[in-house]
Parts: sequence; structure tokens; C-alpha cells
Amino acid sequence: MYWKFRKTVPYVVLTLLAIIFVLPLLWILLASFDGNASQAVKMPTQWTLDNYKVILSSQTNQRAFANGLLISFGQSVLVVLFAGLAAYPLSRYELRYKSLFLYTILFMTSLPITAVMVPVYKMFLTIGLYDKTLGLILFLTATSMPYGIWLMKNFMDNVPIELEEAAWVDGASTLASIRKIIAPLMFPGICVVFIFTFSGSWGNFFIPYILLQTLNKLPASVTLYQFFGQHGMIIYGQLAAYSAVYAIPSILLYILSQNYMSKGFNMAGAAKG
Amino acid sequence: MKKMKKVAAAVLASTMVLSLAACQGSGAKTETTAQGKTEAGSGETGKTAETPGTGGKTKISITFRDGGSDALKNWFEHAYETYDKKDSIELDIAPITASEGDYFAKVALALQSADTAPDIVCEDTFQLPSDVAAGYLTDLSGYLKDYKEWNDGTYYGPLVDGVTYSDGSVYGIPYCTDTRGLWYNKDIFKAAGLDKEWQPKTWQEILDTCKVIKEKCPDVVPFWCNSGVASGEATSMQTYEMLLYGTGEQLLDENDKWIASSENILKSLNFINTIYKDGYGPSLSKVLNGEAGNIASREYLPGGKLAISLDGYWMTGNYKETGSAPWPEYKDKLGIAAMPTSEGQKPGSITMSGGWALSIPQLSDQKDASMDFIKHCMSYDIYLDTIIAQGNIATRTDIAADPTYASQPFMEKCTGFLSGAFYRPRNSQYSTVTTHIQTMVESVVSGTSPEDAMAQYKSDVTNSVGADNTVTK
Amino acid sequence: MNKKSSRLFAEARKSVLILPSMVLLLIFFVTPILLTVYYSFTNLALSGENAKQLKFIGLSNYVSMFKDRTVRISIVNTLVFLLGSLIGQQVLGFLIALNMRNRNRIFRGIVGPVFLAGWIMPEVVVALCCSTFFGDEGTLNQIFSFFHLPTVEFLFAIPMATVILANIWHGTAFSMMNFQSALDGVPADIEEAAKVDGAGPFQTMLRIILPCIKNTIATNTMLNTLSTLGVFGLIYMMTGGGPGTKTLTLPIFMYRQAFISQQLGYGTAISMILLVIGIVLSVFYTRVMRKD
Repeated sequence: MYWKFRKTVPYVVLTLLAIIFVLPLLWILLASFDGNASQAVKMPTQWTLDNYKVILSSQTNQRAFANGLLISFGQSVLVVLFAGLAAYPLSRYELRYKSLFLYTILFMTSLPITAVMVPVYKMFLTIGLYDKTLGLILFLTATSMPYGIWLMKNFMDNVPIELEEAAWVDGASTLASIRKIIAPLMFPGICVVFIFTFSGSWGNFFIPYILLQTLNKLPASVTLYQFFGQHGMIIYGQLAAYSAVYAIPSILLYILSQNYMSKGFNMAGAAKG
Repeated sequence: MKKMKKVAAAVLASTMVLSLAACQGSGAKTETTAQGKTEAGSGETGKTAETPGTGGKTKISITFRDGGSDALKNWFEHAYETYDKKDSIELDIAPITASEGDYFAKVALALQSADTAPDIVCEDTFQLPSDVAAGYLTDLSGYLKDYKEWNDGTYYGPLVDGVTYSDGSVYGIPYCTDTRGLWYNKDIFKAAGLDKEWQPKTWQEILDTCKVIKEKCPDVVPFWCNSGVASGEATSMQTYEMLLYGTGEQLLDENDKWIASSENILKSLNFINTIYKDGYGPSLSKVLNGEAGNIASREYLPGGKLAISLDGYWMTGNYKETGSAPWPEYKDKLGIAAMPTSEGQKPGSITMSGGWALSIPQLSDQKDASMDFIKHCMSYDIYLDTIIAQGNIATRTDIAADPTYASQPFMEKCTGFLSGAFYRPRNSQYSTVTTHIQTMVESVVSGTSPEDAMAQYKSDVTNSVGADNTVTK
Repeated sequence: MNKKSSRLFAEARKSVLILPSMVLLLIFFVTPILLTVYYSFTNLALSGENAKQLKFIGLSNYVSMFKDRTVRISIVNTLVFLLGSLIGQQVLGFLIALNMRNRNRIFRGIVGPVFLAGWIMPEVVVALCCSTFFGDEGTLNQIFSFFHLPTVEFLFAIPMATVILANIWHGTAFSMMNFQSALDGVPADIEEAAKVDGAGPFQTMLRIILPCIKNTIATNTMLNTLSTLGVFGLIYMMTGGGPGTKTLTLPIFMYRQAFISQQLGYGTAISMILLVIGIVLSVFYTRVMRKD
């Protein structure tokens, strides 16, 4: 009896916690289909797709989503690329300045970006990058770089150098060995960095809010923020629908990464064998 | 070795391409922006990059705050439809959706770059002095020399004086002004056994009325005054300054120094404190957000959930047929009382008056066209339509005489408040000090003692304007 | 001579791959940080005379900061928020990871994503979900009324606790994942040996498991600290920093001073505090990590 009790306790605890965790999310789901949504989680009295229709058909929203995808995607690609390249020497070579560099990078990850928005704004104004999407992407890339480099280096460290040495013996160049050996084995790591970076900027509303001015350049995160507090009475149903649509890219990316992650682990097994 | 060189070349190339792309266009722009800035400093019109419109038309962009009502947007669209230069000029309507506090910040950010500065911008008149000091706005006096209505008294005198500097420069054309008072729901008063014609003579009388309402109608919020940082200038002007100026004191003393601490400030804070402590005010979750004013005017007051609202005349714009919360019986169900002075001392009642103006940013490249469009927007018929739709008080005296305008409910009484109205100090630091006022009011409402709140206000103001510019009474 | 220069050359050649990152970092990261330091010594403003021509005012901003009570309040708020989030996320994450070990795979497949969902959600959505959950007519209050408990205006009566809970909801999954992989690394035979020796579950946890995952705890704490320090959006959207100053953390205070009150110089001086706290904490953590 005691043993049975001991066994079920974790299940009960976890279930309770899961229920608490799922409630806020449940609201988004239910309220987005509710014609008369309110703040609380409740079964919709009027199931409707209207909320979604309104949100998705608005040109402003469509543009905002497109902008957001462009910005976050562009930034994530650049981060993976640059951080990956940078991580290689840090992981493989003996460099005198390596620990200094790594610890400086670590410090940089500690700096909250909100703190530097003022000079960034002023700087962008001077060099003409204010209100330019490219400027925003470059800035977001730079700020995600320290974390990205740190993560990439750690993942790269886990790829045994023997595999590369085998390739070098066969005459492969550095770039080729990066492309053909390290990248595939590090794929789970690349995914993690990509997702982390993407989610970070997809959800970031403050930086685009400050650095972009023109209405049709604003990404979805800013539009959602404006929607949240502005027009008259808050229409909860539409707000929930917007959030649901807005959350989809993050969810998709995560699911995709799960698939690739398991494949990646199999390959790592190949190295051990 | 060869391969490494290739790698290096590729990496460097991509870096260069990226930086080139970043600087693309900024090469020319950097020059003009920098040039624009220094020239703005010397007060001349700066040369800036072109903003081509489509099909060879010149483009004018106009920026205003989108606060949930379409009145301004409709104004500019309607004006454009009837504009005689429509064929050569294209209008870009570019509102900023933000709370009041954020709006001023975003405008200040936008005005600093030729790429983002609009051609016409709506400025709250309190923001003008500091934006002028920063060099963000164009001096319009050159254009006004042959603007007949400006010079022949058509525009309301005190307003013209208010925007004219001692050297004759003018930086904005005022398009609306306002007065404030105590709006009350007559049905609720009747239900509470109070006289439907209400005119309190002192602050205490207001509190007494609230007490009665709270007893007789417990589901009703007795009194609403905007009290949060999120409602921005509304908190400073509709609430705090209506109280402070009613004690006989002003924000600046006779030497133009900011009064950072005084008995009268404390008195005003105590009134606000009493309202909330004794339960006469709305719940914090309703009042401390950016929508507070709209919640009060569009939902609570017409809905019978609020008895008294300390607000401005524009509120009635909501109740018209074309408004955001049409209330057909408003002219019978709503009453307006002047805000009394603290103990009923002379002048008996007070109101603050402010307003908004149309300005042309210094970095605009279409100043002539913009000024022309502004004049068109302010022309009699177009302006008449919009000022009625906005529910604001007109800045042109000839409009004030128009029967359609003058017969609007409460218009006569509210315009009457104008004589003897107080204006905010024309001081470039006001835009900063007002944020400290808002912080002070919100902290009192959230539980800080008035003494502590005032002490923090003193510290904040001293930090921002310098100890030389503050004084304690 | 030759050896030294050829070593330098060799290093430079190898470092070429780091070049793009360094350039980007230098322009867009290092320069703003240096500028932040510079601006904190000026009276730069968003509007007004000081917007046209800033003046170098030396330590004036710092002196004002020292005397400003709101600065102290926001530092305290930031630390309270940090501590609350850290403890909540780590403890909860650890408990969940611990309990998830060796559970039914289907069960894990359902419960795991539920916890993860909070982490995947973008900040804006988290703010919205939690605002409605804790709202006056929100789900939590509905549950309270169901059990005949008085309703609470969470965001106004206990704002700091509420935003901390929201942050915990948001970030627990990250700690959970880290602890899961760390726990997987705890050799099963040591645990078995402890059981055989008669150790109870709590003792096993304290004496065996925790020391094994010490490194993960340290890294996890460090990573969480650094990301929590800069939290702006979540709090700003839920409470705006209020009511009053009850949830005014340093990032929000900086925003208010710089953009709302238009005092850019003072605002950057405040962000210096944030930078310093971040640097101090990361030095502290790297020392702790180096010890092992």
C-alpha cells in the first residue's frame, strides 16, 4: 500500500502542476473561438471563427506578421552563421586570447539590452539606420551573438575532433569539414541556437518599438502590444485569436526541432561507435 | 593555405556586403541628416532628402495620435477630398497608436531624423516649448504674414498670444482648445435624492456629495478623476492642476521657478487621497491604465455606473451620433458644474485650458505644401465640421458664432469657462515636470502618503530642472 | 623574431572566422555600451534645450541617483523579482524534473509539453495570458469565487508576487530541461547503493543527487539571472511598473526616465546600475564555476 502510494504521488503532483500551468494557455484557445470572450477560462457560449477572420484578414496584421517573420528569421540565420563560424576557432584552436574573449562574451550576455537602447537610438540616427529593417536585424543579431557563440562553442566541443582529423587526412579543407562533419553532427545544437534566437526576437517588442517608426515596418510583437492596451474596450476574443496566431511560429519551430533533435542523437551515436 | 585564404576572402566579402547594404543610402542621408541638424540649430530650413510621392506627386505625411476615435483621421481625409491641389499633392495619413505618454516620446524620436519626420504633426500645446527649444519645429511666422485670419482677430486672441514667442515666432496653429469641469449623471443624482442642478462651491461640498451617493447608490462609483501615469497629461491637467490652481497656487512662482513643495500641493494631494481612501473613486485596475479616460466617459458615465467625472468638454464628442459611444439623451441626462476653488475663494471656480496645434517639423521637406494644406484644413466649413465631430472648443471666433456650433449641448457653458481659464506654463521643462506630477498622483492613489509623494516630487523636479529653478513654499 | 611574428600570423589566420562576429559585436554592441557610459555623464534629453546641445555634467547624474529614493526602490524591486523568479523556477524545475524521471512515456509526452508551452510562448503572449489569468474577472478569481473565497485584484494588491508568478510560469521549463539532462547523468548505481544502505528518498536527494548536479545548478542559476535582470516587456505589459512603484524594476525605471520624462542622460545613468549588477553577478558566478 505504501509503495503504491509512493508511486502515485509523483503522478498526482505532476498532474496538478500541469493543470495549473495549462490554465492560462487554455484561455487563449477557448477565448479565441468565443464570440463573447471575457477574461476567464470558460466554455464559449458562441463558438465562432469570427475572431480569427477579423485578425487574419486585416492587412495591417498580415504585414506585421510578415515583418516579424522577416526580422526574426533573418536575425536567426545570421546568428547561426556568424556564431557558428566564430565558435570554430574557439572550440578547435589554441588561441592566446581565447579565455579572455570567452569571458568577455560571457559578460556581454549579462547586459540587458534595454539598458543600451538610448545610445543605440542615437547611434542609428547618426549612421542612418533608424527606422530601417536591416538596421534592426543587424542590431538584433549582434545582441544575440554572445549567447549564440557561447552555445555554439559548447555544442561544438561535443563533436569529437577525431572525426575531423579523419576528414583532414582525406584532404578536406577547414570550411569543408565544418560543412560536412561538424554542422550535421551539431544539428541539434544549431536548432537550439536558432530556436532560442528566433523566439527571443519574435517576442521582443521593445527594441522594434524604439528603432522602427513607420507603421508598415512594425513587426507583429509591437502590433500585439499596441492592440493590448489601446482601442477602447479590449476585445478579448480578438486578442486571444491574435495571440494564438502569433504563437504558432514558435510552436512550429519547436516541434520541428524535436524531430531533428532525435535524428541528431542517432548520428552522435555513430561517432561513439 | 590556399583554402584558408578563400575562406577569409569569402567571410570578408560577406561582411563588406552586409555593411554596404547597411550604409546604402545612408551615405547621402548621413550628410543631409547631419546638415539638417546643424542648420536646424541655426533656425534656417534644412535641406533634406526627397520624399517622392507616387506618379510624380509631392507627398505630405501627417502624424497624430490615434486614441480610438476617427475624428482626426476623418478631418484630414475630408480636407484632402476638397483640396484644390489634390492633383499635385498626395496625403499620407500616418497616425501613431500609443498611450499619451508614449505618443510624445515617439514623436520626439521621429522628429530627429529627416526620414521619419512627418510634414505635419499634431502637438499638444504643452509640448511645443520643449520641442521648439530642441529645434524640432519650423517657425511659421513667415507664412503667417499673409494668413488673413491669423492677423485679423479671427483666431482667439489669448491662444494666438499663447503660441507666439517674444520675437514674433510661431510654431503651431492651434486647432482646438478645451475647458474642464465636473460632469455628472443627473439620473444618479435624482436617485440619491440630490438636486439635479448641482454646483458645488468648495471641495468639501464635492466630498459631501460623494458621501451621499455612496450611501444611497452603493453600486455606483461616486467620483472619477484620471490618476495614473498611463493616462499621461490627462492626470496632470484634468486632475492635479484643476486642484492646485484652485488653491490659488500655480506650478511656477512669480520668478518662474518651479514650486517643488508647498502646503497647497499637499492640500491637492490630500483631496485625491481622500477620494480613494473613502472609497469614492474607481478601482485601481480601471483607473490606472491608458484607457481610463475612455472607460469613464464611454462606459461608466452613460452606463449609470459613475456619478461624477472630472473631465474636459471633448468628452461629449463621444455621445454624438457619430461618436464612439452614442448617447442620444445625453443633453438631458448629463450635467456640467464648474470646478470650485478649494474653499470657494475668488475666483470661485477654475478651469485649465490647453489644446492642440498643427506644427511643421523642422526636417520636413514640404513646408510650403504643408502650410497650404494646414490653412485648408482650418478653413471655415471644413474646420466647422471637424470641431463639432471632435467635440472640442474651436480656436476661431467666427466658428464660435456659428449657430450649429454654438447650439451644441453644454457648449455655451463650457466656452463661458474660458474667460478666466489658466494655461500651463510656457516653459520648455514642463514636458518633463508633468511626468513627475503624474508619478506623484499615481503614488498617492497607490497608497503612498501625500507627504512622501510630495517629497519624491521635489526630488524628481530638482533632478530634472536643477536646484536653481526650484523653490519651496 | 620570426617565430613570434609567424605565431601571430598563424593566430590571425585562424581567427579570421571570428572576424564577422567581432565586427558586428564591436559596432552594435560594444559601441552602444561605451556610449551608454559616455551619455551617463551628460544631460542629454529627448526634447528641450538639452536635446539640441548636450552638456557634459560629470558625476551630476550619479549624485542625483544616489539621492533619489526611487532608484533605491527600483534596485530592491529588481532584486526581489530576480530572487523570486530564480527560486521559483529552479525549485519547481527541479521538482518537476525529479518527478518526471522514469514515468510512463505517454504521461511524460503529455505533461512535458504543457510545461514547455509557457517557455515557448513569446513574451507578449505570456503577459497577455497571465494578465487575463490574474485579472479581476480572470480564471484565478473565478476559481476563488467557486470556492467562496474573496476575489483579489492580483495586479494591484500584490503586483510583485503576480509578476514573479508570471515569470516563473514563463521560465520554469528551461530549468526543468537543464535539470532533466543533469539528472540523467547521475549514475544509477550510486543511487542504488544509497538505497541499499538504507537512505531515505530525502537523504538520497540531499547527499547524492544534489552534489552530482552542482554544476548544472550553478550554470542554470547564472543563465536565469542574466536573462531575468533585463526583463522589461513582461512587467511593463502587466503592470507598467505600477501601481505607483510597486513593480518598478530598473529596466522600467530607465524607460520611464529616458523616454517618458525625456531625460536620456539620467536614464543611461540608471542603466549603468543594471550593467554593473549584471557584471558583478556574472563575475561571481564564473568564480563559483571555476572552483570546480
